[in-house]
Amino acid sequence: MSWSPYDLNGGTCIAIGGEGYCIVAASTRLSTGFSILTADKSMILPVNSKCLIASAGFDGDRSQLHKVLTFRSENYEHFHKKPMSCPAMAQMLGNTLYYKRFFPYYTFNLCAGLDDQGLGCVYTYDAIGSHERVGYSCQGSGKDLVQPVLDNQLKAPSILELPPKVAVTSLSKDEAIETVKIAFSAASERDIYTGDAVEIFVMTPEHGVQKEILPLRRD
Amino acid sequence: MSGVGSGYDLSVTTFSPEGRVFQVEYAGKATDNGVPCVGVCCKDGAILAVEKPEETKMMLPQSNRRIFTVSRHCGMAVPGKLPDGRQIVSRAHQEAEQYKRFYGETIPTKVLCDRLANFCHVFSLYWSLRPLGSAALTASFDDQGPHIYLSETNGVSYRYYGIAVGKGRQGIKTELERLKLGEMTTREALKVVCKCLMRQRDESSNKKYEIELAWISEETGREFQRVPEDLAKQTVEDAKKEIEQEDSDSDMEA
Amino acid sequence: MIPHCQLPSHIATGPHVSPFVSSPSHAGRAEDLHVPSSGSSAPFSVAPSADHAEASAGAEPRKHTTYPYVTGNSVLAIKYKDGVLMAADMLGAYGSTKRYKSVQRILRVNDTTIVGASGEISDFQYISNLLDELMTQDFCYDDGCTMTPKEVHAYLCRVMYNRRNKMDPLWNSLVVAGVDKTSGSFVGSVGMLGTSYTDSHVATSFGNHLSRPLFREFQRDDMSLEEAVSLMQEALRVLFYRDKTSINKYVLAKVESSGVAISKPFALDTKWDLKAFVNPSKHAVGSW
Repeated sequence: MSWSPYDLNGGTCIAIGGEGYCIVAASTRLSTGFSILTADKSMILPVNSKCLIASAGFDGDRSQLHKVLTFRSENYEHFHKKPMSCPAMAQMLGNTLYYKRFFPYYTFNLCAGLDDQGLGCVYTYDAIGSHERVGYSCQGSGKDLVQPVLDNQLKAPSILELPPKVAVTSLSKDEAIETVKIAFSAASERDIYTGDAVEIFVMTPEHGVQKEILPLRRD
Repeated sequence: MSGVGSGYDLSVTTFSPEGRVFQVEYAGKATDNGVPCVGVCCKDGAILAVEKPEETKMMLPQSNRRIFTVSRHCGMAVPGKLPDGRQIVSRAHQEAEQYKRFYGETIPTKVLCDRLANFCHVFSLYWSLRPLGSAALTASFDDQGPHIYLSETNGVSYRYYGIAVGKGRQGIKTELERLKLGEMTTREALKVVCKCLMRQRDESSNKKYEIELAWISEETGREFQRVPEDLAKQTVEDAKKEIEQEDSDSDMEA
Repeated sequence: MIPHCQLPSHIATGPHVSPFVSSPSHAGRAEDLHVPSSGSSAPFSVAPSADHAEASAGAEPRKHTTYPYVTGNSVLAIKYKDGVLMAADMLGAYGSTKRYKSVQRILRVNDTTIVGASGEISDFQYISNLLDELMTQDFCYDDGCTMTPKEVHAYLCRVMYNRRNKMDPLWNSLVVAGVDKTSGSFVGSVGMLGTSYTDSHVATSFGNHLSRPLFREFQRDDMSLEEAVSLMQEALRVLFYRDKTSINKYVLAKVESSGVAISKPFALDTKWDLKAFVNPSKHAVGSW
């Protein structure tokens, strides 16, 4: 038995970009092994009015990563006198993760928000920084359960289609929120690391960022 | 080659034929011409007091501090050049912390003050350095009781019953010598020290003064503290009244 | 393997030195010669040990803490109406040996904050020194501000995470509790990897399994001090019945806006009068 600098604290996060909205949701359970540490830990970092980051994986690295990103985004805002755009944040998150390529942040991230056209944008990452812009994505312990549901329900054009189409879902905002809620309820049935509650952030150009909390199974 | 030092006063690495190091003596003058600072050791503790003339009307009171806390059991007043003094205080912090980390006990005052004197002394050994225009007037309370030390820029460090540095120090020292400090409590001595400082004021100028007071005693739980604001204010006022009273009494006699 | 059951390697092997090895050049093949890899290569030698030669040759990497030596067990903390309550026993265990029985694992940081620790006692003493220096610096600034429990927690999170980044962890789970004049009660925890959280109640090690279910059911943020104390006593009693590396000697600490109070060591009433305990050999024929 040897010591490891990593742990897996579980949790699932989902991001969906639509026309004129963006949804980022993450469960709030923090676990280690078969124990629950707390039922109420946020995994979402509201970077600014245009961008949110949700991270699953190891909590220690997540706190550090979120601190670094907060600091850099504040710095950017001071220098540029405007909040960091979502695509800019996405690129920086990729660089930040890759900078630790040989001692990675063990976090699985989603960076989501609204782009300059007011279109929802979602970036999905692996732990060492490779990333891709997609229409929707999910990460964390429940991703194997949730991703197929999203593929099936969101009716988004496939990213394999040629010529490429904008990969945002055609669902309305309320339909998409409902899908997220169902996906989390489903994930919490089978994934022991997803439960207690889910934080849902909804971003629209009109109303900015709004937060909602949905209780989940607590067992 | 004329003047005070006759060419032997340009470097700390050159002695004069009489065996003096003028640069160090000049540095001492910076302290002597600075604000008056007093430290007295009483029955149950020690007091530090500094009298500062108001430099400008626009400056907020209490913003130009000259008394600093070094550790829980020890604090110091810095006469002379304040920036130089802060270097000494910063070094004192380091010494106190490092000693505690290494030995698990608070640093004995003698050790601290000797080390600070050594620190100052180093600045008078190299041509590339300039001696510090300040000193460390230390008040502390350790297991040996209350202490007042003065570590000077030339590298000496002595322990005192009571000591004054800066402008008007001679007058204050003479007054201190007349007192029985060892029989007073810090609370009693507070007013006496204020009176000593106030009597040495330059009567001709209409400058305003602020007196900074700090103490450490059994009463403060052997913790170095600034004297609470209302008590300090009251003490200064009482001292002022008493001086006026005494002056009018002596006028009557005359 | 359960880490507690294994003696630290240098104690298990002893400081013996092989007479067959005289020059450091053999040190690289130390294992073949059945020589312990640590210790100097010749008796009473003051020459640099073989370890240095090995490390510089890249034969064996530098080693850091890989298991704790003397450990403390559960720390419990809950919020109540006027503040927070924290409890821990006083055992310092050497593996499964109850080695030290008067170890205070709850530390008063300042007038608003306390810290409790389970895990390696020496690491906790180091952390205590860090906090003490921090508070002395706070005192020296003399600006009328002191650190809040939230700030102490944030600081400890950084310390713990920083050491795990160096692959040299401080082997503790820490609990920070206290009262902040503006934001009220605070209870938070941080582990040796930097995993941290805040909640209305926290418990480390065995307490997370045995006490937190009780807390989840009975703890309320608006409960009275009396209720909180009796809940805490019940949680400690359950722990003492079930956790073999705990002793019936506890310290209870409380923080309210009026300040910190840490109790004298005390013991709980326990009942062991189960019928099966009266004559334990009754149902085991042939045993004495």
